[in-house]
Amino acid sequence: MATELNSDRPQRQRSEQQGGEPVRTTIRNLELARHVARDAQRVVAGDLSEQEFYERYHEAYLHEFGVDSRAISRQEVPNVASGQGAAKGAMAERPKPMINGPLSRRAFLMLAGGGAAAVALAATLGRLVPQVAYARTEGSSESPRAQGAVEGSQAVKRIQMGMVIDLERCTGCLVCVDACHRENNTEEGVHWMYVLAYKDENKEGVNFLVRPCNHCTNPPCVKVCPVMARHKREKDGLVLTDQDICIGTRYCEVACPYGVNYFQWGEPNPDTEMIRQHGRKDYRGRTVEFNPPRGVMGKCTFCPQRQDSEGKRGTTSCQQACPHDAIHFGDMNDPNSAPRQYLERRRQEKGGYLSTFRLLDDLGTEPNILYIGHQPSRSAKQVDGPITYEDWGWVDRRGDVLEGPRPWFMRVFGG
Amino acid sequence: MAEQSREALILKTLGRPSPKFFLLLAVAGGAVAWFAYAWSFMLRYGMITTGLADWGSAGGVTWGMFIGGYIWWIGIAHGGIIISAAVRLFNLRTFMPVARLAELLTLCALSMAALFIVLHLGRPDRMVVSIVRAFPRAIFSSPLAWDVLVITLYFTLTATYIALTVRQDLQAIRGGMGNEAAVGGGRARGGYFSRSRLGSSTVRGYTGGQYAGRGQLPALPALVHRVLLTGYKPEESKKVERMVWWLALAVIILAPLFLHGGVIPWLFAILPSMPGWYGGLQGPTFLSIALTSALSGVIIIAYIFRRVYGWEDIIPDSVFKGLTFFLIIFAMLFLWLQIQGLVTGLYAAPVGVEAVTRAKVHSFSYWLAIGLVAVAVAYLGAQRLRPSLFSPHRTFVVAFLPLVATLLEKSLFVVEGIMEPRFSLYRAVPGAYKPSWIEVSAIVGTIGLVVMFFALVPKVIPVVEVTTDEDRREHNA
Repeated sequence: MATELNSDRPQRQRSEQQGGEPVRTTIRNLELARHVARDAQRVVAGDLSEQEFYERYHEAYLHEFGVDSRAISRQEVPNVASGQGAAKGAMAERPKPMINGPLSRRAFLMLAGGGAAAVALAATLGRLVPQVAYARTEGSSESPRAQGAVEGSQAVKRIQMGMVIDLERCTGCLVCVDACHRENNTEEGVHWMYVLAYKDENKEGVNFLVRPCNHCTNPPCVKVCPVMARHKREKDGLVLTDQDICIGTRYCEVACPYGVNYFQWGEPNPDTEMIRQHGRKDYRGRTVEFNPPRGVMGKCTFCPQRQDSEGKRGTTSCQQACPHDAIHFGDMNDPNSAPRQYLERRRQEKGGYLSTFRLLDDLGTEPNILYIGHQPSRSAKQVDGPITYEDWGWVDRRGDVLEGPRPWFMRVFGG
Repeated sequence: MAEQSREALILKTLGRPSPKFFLLLAVAGGAVAWFAYAWSFMLRYGMITTGLADWGSAGGVTWGMFIGGYIWWIGIAHGGIIISAAVRLFNLRTFMPVARLAELLTLCALSMAALFIVLHLGRPDRMVVSIVRAFPRAIFSSPLAWDVLVITLYFTLTATYIALTVRQDLQAIRGGMGNEAAVGGGRARGGYFSRSRLGSSTVRGYTGGQYAGRGQLPALPALVHRVLLTGYKPEESKKVERMVWWLALAVIILAPLFLHGGVIPWLFAILPSMPGWYGGLQGPTFLSIALTSALSGVIIIAYIFRRVYGWEDIIPDSVFKGLTFFLIIFAMLFLWLQIQGLVTGLYAAPVGVEAVTRAKVHSFSYWLAIGLVAVAVAYLGAQRLRPSLFSPHRTFVVAFLPLVATLLEKSLFVVEGIMEPRFSLYRAVPGAYKPSWIEVSAIVGTIGLVVMFFALVPKVIPVVEVTTDEDRREHNA
């Protein structure tokens, strides 16, 4: 697998002609080099701390060069990958992403990238205002489909949390919807987890589509956000909204093909006891959890409050609540994770053939919810399920209840 | 002598205002005050007061008339400066009298567009800090960041352009071009610094109101003139000429390719989640709409000035005939692009595209918009073919039709795009939308602001270029 870089050759020839030792420090593993280069850019951009960067490639460096003298803490890298309980090492103690340090390098890279004047101005301003780490949309190479390439190399696999949802087991009881409401304190009609009951041609009875956020590997909502409030968390691939940065353009909502975003049009519910105690900040100190304040976008978060905790890591409220074990949550890139194991088991049960799909896969979003079952056709129509939202005492269609106070003249004229 | 009277006519706008002027200000100010009330109401209670809602399970529309109004104003803005830049680059002398009016229209319409973006935000309080912090990285991915960049760029280009050309004019009306004494305190010619007291100065040829003959300007305009003329040197005019030429070139390249034919339609055209928006047709469509509405706007404003100040000789019929000619071309382009969209969207289109095209075809507002443009094209075309039908007044009236139509069409484009998303399994799709009183107030209020702008700015600077090309040539020689 050790591929020689082309640029390596002339240099080596030259040094041999000069009678010196051949240069040994070049990176010979192209795959590794690519990963290191990409993550180095992330370090410069502030998405990844140097510590995390060093840790990520420590093993690979040792394998490649036999030595890695860079400063890494000997603390074991937490493994969120295999889902429940497998992780060691406290996430909370990890260093926050380093952003202020490499500003000059960062400014230089951006200048090289173009837009020189504006960037120089912004970089200057960046020195003045406290910086926030902006995560960025990931490259597509981490998608489960492209996984072979990643697995084949020495590079460390990227963790991407996702779900395998077994629609054949779903009964449309809406317990997951209820659990999400309780956990995240979302407003009336805001269904971060939503279950669509539908009728379809050539399918008998009522079918279900469980719709949390897809936490896409290539999320359009992250791309379009002008303030980078919507971002993809490096640690586990969650797509989150920074509630302190969001300015409420709602561009993420129109760019998302799945309709998972719910804006906070009015005043939010008062915080629950749990939120008051826990706060809304994740392990990086960014405000991304629970229902957002007024004027800010909200959506399914895959419960970062759980992913950052010791006890509940690798679970979500909906997954834990599902009485039919239809939702399986974990790292989609890890063959040993709960969802991948479940998928494998179901595949074997079905004699090697299992119908699965990802929603609107053709749009290139690389969604991370894998459904077991059949995809609804274009002529499918949503119907009332066996248990309706009204049965639970909720509002299904939020638009009907979104009504603010009326101005005096409307009250006068009875409008 | 003819030159003198032309100048005097142009400077009439700086004269003492009539009672009608104050009436106009009061009406426009009333609209603005109402808008301010509506906005404060929205800020107080949140966007829940707008009637917007989430698409998907909630059955609403996420972007509404704020975005429709934004595209409308920015379309008017983009066309204005293109007209002006074309005058300079391609020497379209006919339109010289309306060049500055078009530039001013660009400046204020652009500000209105920016205002609509602020109105649209859930958290306008954080806007500046969030955008500035994220900008260096967001600019590589977010079309809205591109948008912020091009609007800022465009505003800077236009403001610079106006400031540069106005300087020459102000100097000319103060003491004549090339007269160095005028700058150095030339009392002999009643120059700018002939009075030591701030806020009063005399103007050659200025005969407005009580300031007959060699009139004295009121304090505020005089102060503005003084600021605008900071550091003026007579020999700068040659350089200014070059700078303005390059600015015009930049505008002619940037505006059609990257502004209204680029970034603004790309806000929508790049999103496959909304089939009504997605696709390469949006660029040309947006540009045709921008130019149609901008030409209509310039016709309306030019006619009002001509009427109010008796500028039949300053803005002659030929200006209206010329503007009408281009208006017909771009309005026909607009109609033609609509036909392209309808035929490809209905014949054998993918499901999502067909759904949104069908919704469009069944919408009354859409046909109203198309009808208004068609009527305007038909009438203006007839006027062109049979010159006896032509009158500036009728042209002025007809010019309102495309303006209304473009506002309708663009708002509908935004709303229907969201009503018919690609993922239509939700029962609550298509969502429901009705413009709220706040959104309508914003449209009315911004029109009021533009009216106020065009009432007040002519009180300070001449809105038609005083310096003619002959003057410049003579001066440069």
